[in-house]
Amino acid sequence: MATIPAPQYQPGGTTPRNPPSASSRVRRTMHRWVLFILMVVVAVVMLYPFWYIIDNAFRSAGQFDRQSGHSLSGWNQLFANLPVASELLNSTLVCVAAIAIILVVSTTAGFAFAKLRYRGSGMVFLLVVSALMVPLQSILFPEFVNLSNVSLTSSYAGAVLVYAALGTPFATFLMATYYRGISDELIEAAVMDGLGYERTFLQIAIPLSLPAIATITVLQFIQIWDDLLVGLFFLPTNQRTITAGLATLSTGRTTSVPALMAGSLISAIPAIVVYLIFQRHLIKGLTLGMGK
Amino acid sequence: MSLTEAETATAVRPAARRPGAPVARSRLARRRRRAGILLSLPAVALVIALLGVPVGQAVYYSMTQWNGLVTTWIGPSTYVSLVKDPIFWRVLENNGLLLLAVPFAIGIPLAIAALLHEHVRGWRFFRSAYFLPTAISWVVIGMFALRFFSATGVLNGLLGRVGFGPSATDMLANEHTALAALAITFIWSMVGTNTIIFLTGMATLDPTLTEAARVDGLSRRQIFFRVTLPLLTRFIQFSFVITVISAFSALFSLIFVMTSGGPGFGTTTLEFFIYQAGFQQVQLGTAALYGVVLFVIMAIAGLVQLRLIKPDDGGGW
Repeated sequence: MATIPAPQYQPGGTTPRNPPSASSRVRRTMHRWVLFILMVVVAVVMLYPFWYIIDNAFRSAGQFDRQSGHSLSGWNQLFANLPVASELLNSTLVCVAAIAIILVVSTTAGFAFAKLRYRGSGMVFLLVVSALMVPLQSILFPEFVNLSNVSLTSSYAGAVLVYAALGTPFATFLMATYYRGISDELIEAAVMDGLGYERTFLQIAIPLSLPAIATITVLQFIQIWDDLLVGLFFLPTNQRTITAGLATLSTGRTTSVPALMAGSLISAIPAIVVYLIFQRHLIKGLTLGMGK
Repeated sequence: MSLTEAETATAVRPAARRPGAPVARSRLARRRRRAGILLSLPAVALVIALLGVPVGQAVYYSMTQWNGLVTTWIGPSTYVSLVKDPIFWRVLENNGLLLLAVPFAIGIPLAIAALLHEHVRGWRFFRSAYFLPTAISWVVIGMFALRFFSATGVLNGLLGRVGFGPSATDMLANEHTALAALAITFIWSMVGTNTIIFLTGMATLDPTLTEAARVDGLSRRQIFFRVTLPLLTRFIQFSFVITVISAFSALFSLIFVMTSGGPGFGTTTLEFFIYQAGFQQVQLGTAALYGVVLFVIMAIAGLVQLRLIKPDDGGGW
């Protein structure tokens, strides 16, 4: 069946069922080229900023004004004005800790909401998911005052908790959706075999849900790594993340453009690397519940 | 979801399923309930403590004067004064104007997705390229946009070459053009996310439908507008909600880096005014008041979104 070529129709042609004529083949080739050129144009628009940042990160202030010549003086200024290494480390630690909390609470809760229903669990699920609607800006100052009252804003802890709370609703929704797709019989059988619900969760459900866990990890990594608001408010100045450090450096207005471009580049690289490796998982998480 | 229903039935009336071992089944059901409550507790506690309670506090503080230490109760009249405050309307107007960017932030990605869906050679590479900006922070995007729109920036360089040299202006120095610059940057930033949503949508379409339309003699354009577009309605609604939510609550970093809300109130949106009122003027009551308004808007958008993602679909795994 696959060997029979599909009949070719002229696009918009008046007489279908004609074999492809030479002119229609030319028209098709032309059409493909037009599409290809359009895609290149869009690619230039989408990628130009990356080129601009890379190009201007390797200039001095004077070279930037003239837009010619390259040097490392932007990098020197960046490292002199921003504790780049320690801020990269801060970003990493905050990301890892927050993602760890998100994964623990969202896998357990997702499993409970999908497979261990109790009276009212549907309402509780809705409550957790509806927290998606809370923008941090709305609760910024109450949150800050609460956390500083229990002295959590003088270390990573406050920011980690805020990131974890912000990431939990969507992650729980995603995990619950995923666990609903696992058959009840499988879980029941494991429990009947004497594993108990806790060990069934750890030994059966968790290994089955690794794709969803990967999706959450990648989504949250990019979200937290790129965030400014929490990093700016809930971390002490000497423990800022790279994104928050870079943003405050830029408001100083004394820093040269090449130094800021160098900072942009170095802050963007980890997220870009993660994106390039785990693109598939990111796309899945983004369109969850929308596909068939 | 008949499985889930069956499961719920077992949980409520365990004996009805297996008359042979009612006692063991009910003990199991009890253990299941206990495990369920135990496992969902951490997520519930985290969300209530760090998101739920502060929302309640924000509502309370919105009716007070608060500087972080001393709280003076005023009452619901703060909402009346808010509606009479011209600054509130000025800020809300900026949010409203930003919404004008939404059709572009949806239409352009829709066109790009249609382009990619033709599967011309290299389309996978282009898809990755268009999606790449999604990985970088609003801070970095803002850094670039600042240089793009400035008087000596990329845009004026381009315009100068085409012959608009003498009129070169700093878009970020004027109230209206600054908001336009912000909106353009926002549209660019949304291209990746929305394109992926539409591309996913197009992948779910049955190719025989467009094939049938082609046999019927419809042109490519007619097929797109009469067949493809109507079938994508749910995806367009979904991206609409995501885009509106982003326009209202994701632009803080962009504004912080590009304009700091200025010039004047030119680019001060609700979310940015909360920061200004609280952080710069230390009027935390006012900040909470604006926070509640923002929350109500987001809640409406979120309710629409919850209806669209239909948790019982089972997901696209």
